[in-house]
Amino acid sequence: MAGRDAQSVPWFAEERPQAVLADGARLDGRSFEEFRSVFLKTGVISQASGSAYAEFGRTKVMVGVYGPRQSDRRQGYSERGRLACDVKLATFATRQRGIFGQSQEEREHSAAMQTALEAAANLDSFPKATVDVYCLVLEAGGSELAVAITAAALALADAGIELFDLVSACSVSRVEGSLLLDPSADETHREDGGLLLAMMPTVNEVTQLVSRGQWSGAELKDGLELAMGGCAQLDAAARQCLREAAAAAAAKQAAEDGAAAAQPAAA
Amino acid sequence: MASPLLSGSEVQWISAGVGFNCRNDGRARDEYRPLEVELGVLAQATGSARVRLGETDVIVGVKAEIGSPDPDRPNCGRLNFAVECSPVASPAFRGRGGDELSGELARALERSMYPGPSGRGGGLDLSVLSIVTGKTCWVVYVDVLLLNIGGNLHDAVSVAAKAALADARIPRVEVVPGEDPTDEPDYEVDDDPSQAQRLDTAGLPLCVTVSQIGRHCVVDLTTEEELCSSASLQVAVNSSGAVCGLTKRRQQGLDPSVMLEMVEVAQRAAAKLHAALADTLAAQQAQQMAVG
Repeated sequence: MAGRDAQSVPWFAEERPQAVLADGARLDGRSFEEFRSVFLKTGVISQASGSAYAEFGRTKVMVGVYGPRQSDRRQGYSERGRLACDVKLATFATRQRGIFGQSQEEREHSAAMQTALEAAANLDSFPKATVDVYCLVLEAGGSELAVAITAAALALADAGIELFDLVSACSVSRVEGSLLLDPSADETHREDGGLLLAMMPTVNEVTQLVSRGQWSGAELKDGLELAMGGCAQLDAAARQCLREAAAAAAAKQAAEDGAAAAQPAAA
Repeated sequence: MASPLLSGSEVQWISAGVGFNCRNDGRARDEYRPLEVELGVLAQATGSARVRLGETDVIVGVKAEIGSPDPDRPNCGRLNFAVECSPVASPAFRGRGGDELSGELARALERSMYPGPSGRGGGLDLSVLSIVTGKTCWVVYVDVLLLNIGGNLHDAVSVAAKAALADARIPRVEVVPGEDPTDEPDYEVDDDPSQAQRLDTAGLPLCVTVSQIGRHCVVDLTTEEELCSSASLQVAVNSSGAVCGLTKRRQQGLDPSVMLEMVEVAQRAAAKLHAALADTLAAQQAQQMAVG
């Protein structure tokens, strides 16, 4: 079946591959347990309390965290703070043009992200208030939700919201009996089953788990182990990113202090 | 959802009861409330079921219409899930108040019962719903109505959806080609109920929600118990014990070993639930045959 009759698929885009495993290897040359190239950066939106950008191969996600602000009155009184997560896929993020407004899939992604992050944030530290987490997927190249959750946790940390631990998330797809870490969009399209795991690697707690397709008990165990290993790797990368951001901020502060100290002497 | 307010001592009472493996209504931790399934309750529907699980009461109507197949899967029929949260069940559902819950329930059903983009992983053989490849097929609408909310909605809804699909009888369709090959073919729907085919629902999974109260895994929570639970895992399990869908709900995190234990608890509970449903379905269908 040619995918062309689907409207708004880019005219010059390649067809989806019929098989994503060629001679037992992935099409992009990765090993089964390897991430795509990962890039993480915090502090990308100047207006936000905290922000982060994450790029996993072709999947590109931007997250802005705003608040804490006073909760809506109609939500009622709460002694604990709230996280309001909103995941939006840009209309040009997927092969077929998305819709304006929130689609069913985006609503589900938002709810899944909220569960994933709520367990990590110290909600008691901002009673009666809400922290907004806005997440925009610029390009959906596979495993969007996992990338978005990882980026959102980084943005929360960048905003200075108290967290029990960083959350990292990764996806696993099962294709022809092999478990693939961090699947691309083509791999997800051909999968027999998939799962998403979000966890706090240091305190060893799972905060979100979503699976699709059929899994036997043993397969599920193997898939979870692979995902846990992936989360631990991502956690190291996220911490490295935060350390670098903190070092850069400290250096900038020191330079400003130095300039301020030098100025009176010149006058 | 309008939830009852629970005092600190009530929470303590319920949690302690779970610790002693004797809950408020005398059930053990891994025990379901009595499950009542009634088939064929809606005259206008292709198939229908009403399920009562304790106080929880849901009704499902299945309607089949002739439509066109998904371009990605030209030789398969389509399944469509929708859940309506009526304000009858809770004033919180007034207006658009029930949208969040209904979306959540419908997507959970779809994820566990409908195949993914690769066409694999679904519990129903959708190719039996095809009429003319790429042109026409049966579109089966599964509409769920919540009548009363008494805890553990997800499990009740999945049982009701499976029962209603098992009750559905899809009429036989004959395709009569037009005189000219370029003409649209005619469809003749056989209105003889004895010729109608039933869907093979044996592979459809049921959802079991396992929740953590204190350190214990508990199934089939009442509304009050749900307020005492810190984390829960929804596990869809088919009759052969394979996991067909997982989602974590509620605020707290879970230890990975506890999570695997919850999956095992769900698999055991699902085996019992599948057996109970199969018995009821067989009994009710035999009764229908005798009457019809």
